[in-house]
Amino acid sequence: MARSPQQLLLPVNPVFIWSSLFVGLLVALLPLGRVAWVPDVLMLILVFWSVHQPSRVGMGIAFVLGLCVDVQHAALLGQNALIYTVMVYLGVSLQRRLLWFGIPLQAVQMLPLFIAAHLLQTLIRLALGASLPGWGILAAPLLDSLLWIPISVVLLAPQRRTPDRDENRPL
Amino acid sequence: MPLGTLDRSAPPFFKQGPSARSTLAVLTALSLLLMVADTRLGITPPIRAAVSTALYPVQWLALQPVRLGRLGSEYMATVRSAQSVEDIARKGILQQAQRANQVEELLLENRRLRDLLALRQRLQAPEQAAEVLYDAPDPYTRRVIIDRGQLQGVALGAPVLDETGVLGQVTRVHPLLAEVSLLIDRDFSIPVLNVRTGARSVAYGDPAGGGALELRFMPGNADVEEGDLLTTSGVDGVYPAGLPVAKVSHVERRSESAFARIHCLPLARTQGARHVLVLQPLGDQMPPRPPEDAAPVENKRRLLPPRVVPTP
Repeated sequence: MARSPQQLLLPVNPVFIWSSLFVGLLVALLPLGRVAWVPDVLMLILVFWSVHQPSRVGMGIAFVLGLCVDVQHAALLGQNALIYTVMVYLGVSLQRRLLWFGIPLQAVQMLPLFIAAHLLQTLIRLALGASLPGWGILAAPLLDSLLWIPISVVLLAPQRRTPDRDENRPL
Repeated sequence: MPLGTLDRSAPPFFKQGPSARSTLAVLTALSLLLMVADTRLGITPPIRAAVSTALYPVQWLALQPVRLGRLGSEYMATVRSAQSVEDIARKGILQQAQRANQVEELLLENRRLRDLLALRQRLQAPEQAAEVLYDAPDPYTRRVIIDRGQLQGVALGAPVLDETGVLGQVTRVHPLLAEVSLLIDRDFSIPVLNVRTGARSVAYGDPAGGGALELRFMPGNADVEEGDLLTTSGVDGVYPAGLPVAKVSHVERRSESAFARIHCLPLARTQGARHVLVLQPLGDQMPPRPPEDAAPVENKRRLLPPRVVPTP
């Protein structure tokens, strides 16, 4: 397998990490209605930072954000907290392997994780006596893993700038 | 390239903090505990209230695009459509005016008759208008969030109506918001009265498909027809009597089953309702329950005076 050429990245700005998580929380709080196939952007951003900056974004923040989402979604308390915690753990443990691949292949590798997350969520709710929300829920992991590509590009963009600016070469 | 411009740095020499697995185990156990506490123990409302209050500014920020969109679409509505809506509303009011006057008279008459018969007066519930902020995104339940909470005096269990009928009941109260379970939620049940026959029954929520209600445990030969109007019966001490709830849409009688399957469609708008009315639950106004005898039946029998043996 051909290795994708790795670019040397700039150090990450912690403010950028936190503001991206805040934007993810805002997206999670958007009142989009009861649609089962909506991808979970906050979970994607959390997993992304756990893969790229495992020493900065850990399971604690994932748990807290999950609790916030639970309360706002009027869901079972602790349901999203559990999912986010497990996903961040899996992200940290897969991190060394995942970063060898290019971004599209990373998305393919993340697909089983997202399927597992949604399956776990559905199983918890079914075990506690909820009804199935419909077939739309099958599309959610696919959309999650498709969104991995734009989110990776956007969140890595500040680290891909040049370290010393050159007036003649703007990029 | 100067130092400090690379993202790659040496890993920490001495590992700091607990290992990933132990953190995972602790947090997983904590979230499982929260789930159990939420479903069985019922000790989580303070946690929910705290998180909800802390999250309120962020939520307000997230709601702004939606509010702006609504405002914009209302602003763009032309004068003509506003005039036509007003025309329709005026005609509706005219049609209702006569009936409303009759209702006043009937209410008066009813009160006098009840006075005559020494019956208890019908209960009146104080009400409060509220606006639906958003549908709960959780796809497993059918709930909406309204913009009135504990601070505005919304009580747990309060009935919620829209302009056409009963919409649901307040099932969680936060300080500034409240969650309303819709009629069609899976765990919802409401005592109803068939207006045509006067038969009482209980309607259960059925979220499958677009959402409906089901009358369960009605015998196969029960007198229920399609199109029957179901209203609240008022026997539960929560809903005032006589509010429209649903219309029977489909009756299925099978010879192999002792019960008929009766499907009803809710009259209230379970999707897209914006302005709702929150009533106070009637429980506070109900007469107190008769005191239950603490002594079981056997003791009562023992307390009877001893039988006197007739002397010959």
